[in-house]
Formats: sequence, structure tokens, C-alpha cells
Amino acid sequence: MKDIVKILLSEAKLPASDAEIEAYTAAYAAQRASVDALYEVPEARYVDPALRFRATARLDDWAS
Amino acid sequence: MTLPKTLTDAAAALRDGTVTSVELTQAAIDTADRLDATIGTYLARFDSYALERAAKADEELARGEDRGPLHGIPFGVKDILAMAEGPTTAQSLILDPAWGEGKDAPVVARLKAAGAVITGKATTMEFACGMPDAEKPFPIPRNPWNPDTWPGGSSSGTGSGVAAGMFLAGLGTDTAGSIRIPAAFCGVSGLMPTFGRVPKSGCVPLGYTLDHIGPLARSARDCAAVLEVIAGPHRSDPDCVDAPFSAPELTGDLTGLRIGVVREHHFPDDRDPALDSTFDAAVAVLTEQGATVVEVTLPYWQEMITVDMITMGSEALAYHRGDLGNRWGDYFLATRAMLATGAQVSGADYVQAQRVRRVAQDAIGRLFETVDVIACPTTSVGAPSYDSLTGPDGQPDIGALFSMIHTPYWDTVGNPVLVVPMGFTADGLPLSLQLAGPAFGEAKILRAGDAFQQGTDWHLRVPETVVEGAAA
Repeated sequence: MKDIVKILLSEAKLPASDAEIEAYTAAYAAQRASVDALYEVPEARYVDPALRFRATARLDDWAS
Repeated sequence: MTLPKTLTDAAAALRDGTVTSVELTQAAIDTADRLDATIGTYLARFDSYALERAAKADEELARGEDRGPLHGIPFGVKDILAMAEGPTTAQSLILDPAWGEGKDAPVVARLKAAGAVITGKATTMEFACGMPDAEKPFPIPRNPWNPDTWPGGSSSGTGSGVAAGMFLAGLGTDTAGSIRIPAAFCGVSGLMPTFGRVPKSGCVPLGYTLDHIGPLARSARDCAAVLEVIAGPHRSDPDCVDAPFSAPELTGDLTGLRIGVVREHHFPDDRDPALDSTFDAAVAVLTEQGATVVEVTLPYWQEMITVDMITMGSEALAYHRGDLGNRWGDYFLATRAMLATGAQVSGADYVQAQRVRRVAQDAIGRLFETVDVIACPTTSVGAPSYDSLTGPDGQPDIGALFSMIHTPYWDTVGNPVLVVPMGFTADGLPLSLQLAGPAFGEAKILRAGDAFQQGTDWHLRVPETVVEGAAA
């Protein structure tokens, strides 16, 4: 499990310390299981995500 | 002279001539002089600016130019929102000091237009997440009820500042509970508005689809007054809809209001011993005010905890990845841990989270067809001691902390939630009640919260440190 976490962090270019990798690894299995459980929600099988793209959107400076 | 404790009482006193804005502001400054070094409320104070604004407010009110209930009120702003009078730091070494320089976030501009007297920028957890880091050159926020405990976060300074009397209201932000947690631990009220009610541009982002800006203040009535000012669309935030807010009539009568009470997940074995009786008493007050109560459960509870983690981690990592690679050590320890979760999920995981999120939104919408308000504890314990925030390995123990905090669910579904003080632990630390409503149903939760506060005085309790100092 530690190797997986190290690879994921490395691929994201996050230079975590050994102590941090140990801590993240300790939490990873439960975290991964909770993420995988989202794919087991049957009601979500044919549901669109809460994401929307707007073709007319422009960047708008909030302070201008 | 005894100064009003609430924003709305102060607004009335300003108009009947029993207090001036300069007196309110000077009292707030005096309190900050006395307590800020201990409880770390401010990152930046604008004393001179505030006194000038207060004098102007007094002049305007004297000649009948009334800008509404925030006019002349000392007010704090979390230092993750841009304000022209000072730099925004997000309590971080990372954020470019030029970000937002000389500009007001739309919500800050609305506060200024309403005549609020902004006294300074309040402390936050770094980038509105994580925990304090003593290794970094920023104040450690402490709880006015017991400085050995955490005031909650991430809107730490806004919570402690209201509790201590450094301002009568302030702005916070909430992505997983950052308005409601400090409000709960500091014994004040806080309102997370519906996602899209308040424009969030001009706020350093944490989770683009989760961030909410809202008030912390002593009372539900105060929160309603602030929401009236900051709500409404802004061209720069496409998520913000055309839904201005008008405070409902607050009569204290809850006749006809249906309240769903949630116990599942909120009463873990290691909860505070006072939680059960305190929560039951709070529900009883709501019943006495006329509400009818039924027991309900929250659909997709565990899934939404996971969705908040995936969504916040992914959205925040996208924002921070470049800096993380180059300046890892400049980030707070707990910020790094939160951001690293974004690297441990895939793009498909993120999209699946948004699909399940949609399912949960629909389910909670159907639940709100059967009840008007949902009530549950905000946390299962009072403010934790600083010693307890770190695990035996020296790493922040975020998992243990959030097993006692019941806020992230509501960020994912986007519904509004009001938190109000409901009593104390045996150690004298505040406990808090969450009142959630249907999307854009702030009027219902504010009506319930105000009725609760008409029947109780928990929201008016002041920490001993404040009382003793004021008497000295």
C-alpha cells in the first residue's frame, strides 16, 4: 500500500516526507474503499454528474 | 455604559441614540488590544480606518442617511476575502501578495456599501483548510472559552472575534464546515447560505463547487441581517443565481413548522456526556415554540463524506499543485495532508463523486418535501484541546477530528445550514445545534433559529475571559 501512495504522490510531484507518506498510507486503504463504494451506488448508474459546461462563459474580473 | 451584544440590538441603539458607531468601534478596538495577543483573532487590524468609517456612519445616521442594519457596525472579514485596505494572505506563505491587491471581493464591496465598519482581517486555517501550524509565522487562533482549546476552523478568527466582542459580526467561508465549526466551538451563530446564494468571487478558492461565504454573529437575527446585504447575483460568479434574500418575519411562533430530527451518525460512543440531554432540550424548545418533530435519517451520509473529501481534495490540488511541487515545506503540515488526498483519487473518481452527489441532492430534496427543517448536533464534542489535534506520529489527526464534526454532508448537497449555541459541556465549552433547510430555504432555518433564541439565552453567553477583562 505504501508503494502505491508513494507512486501517486510522485506522479503528482508532491515531495512528501517519509513520515507524511507513512501517515497518508495509514489512511489510504479506508479512503480508497470509501471511494470505490461510490461506484456501488445503483441509483447513480444513469445519472449525469453535477457538472455543467456553459458555451457562452467568459472570464470576468470580479473586481473590475 | 453596557454595550449591546448583538448586531441587531446595536443597530437599534444606534438609531435611538443610546450609542454611537465610534463608541461601538472603540470598544471593539479596546477588546482587541486586551485579548488579541492571547486568542489570535486578527491577521491585520484597520483601527484608524475603522474609526474613520465609524465617524462617517455617525454623521450619516445623524442626518438621516440610513444604509440599513449593518450601518456603523464593527465587522470582521476572514483573510481569504479580498479587501482593498490590506493584502490577503489566506494565512499562508504561498499566496502571491499581489492577489486581489487594492480590490474588494463583491461581498466586501456590499458590506462597505451597507456602511459596515470593517475592523480588520481575521485569522483562518491556511487556505481555509487544515489545522494550525506552530512552525509558521502566523498567530495560533485560540478559543475565548478556553485558550488551551481550538476555536475551530477554518474561519477561526471570525468565530473567536464575535465570541470575544472584537466585532459584532463577520464573514467566514465554508467548504466542509468552516463557518459552522468555529461558530459551534466559539458559542456563536453561523449561517452557511445555499450554494449560489452569495457570490464567491474575490475569495481564494478551496473547493470551487463547495465554497460558501456566510456570516458568523451572535444571533440568527444578526445572520439574517448580514445575508440580506451579501446575497444576490454577481456577473463574476456564474454559480450565483438571481436569488436576493429578504429576512422573514421573526415572530418566535413555529406553529406549522415540521422539523426532522437526525440522531444517526451524530451520537458516537465517545461523544460528550452532555450532548444527549442538551440536544433533547433544544428540540424541546423548538416543540414548545409550536414545531412538530419527527425522526429522520440523512440519505447517502457516508457517501457524501467521501464526496466532500474527493471534491475538495481534487479541486484544491488543481489550484495548488504547481506551488506544492516547488514549495512543499512552506505549506502547513495539515494543508499538505488534505491536498495530498487529491493525488490519491482519479479523474473518474471525481466525476463519479459528482454523479452520486446529484443522487444525494435529489434524495435530500425529496426529504425536504416531508419536513421544513432538519435538526442535528453540529459536533459531538466541545472544542478539542490543542494537544489532541495531533496523532502520536506527530501528524495531524484529521480523521479523528472529523469523526466528531458533522458538517461536510451539507456542503456537498448545497443546502443552507444555520448553527446556534444550544448549551455547554461539563467543562464549560459550547455545544451547537445545526438547522438545515431546503435549497434557498434560509427563511425557514432563520425563523427556527430565531424562535429557539427567543426561548433561550445560550447565544448571549460571554466567555469569562471577556467578562473579567471588561470588569478590570
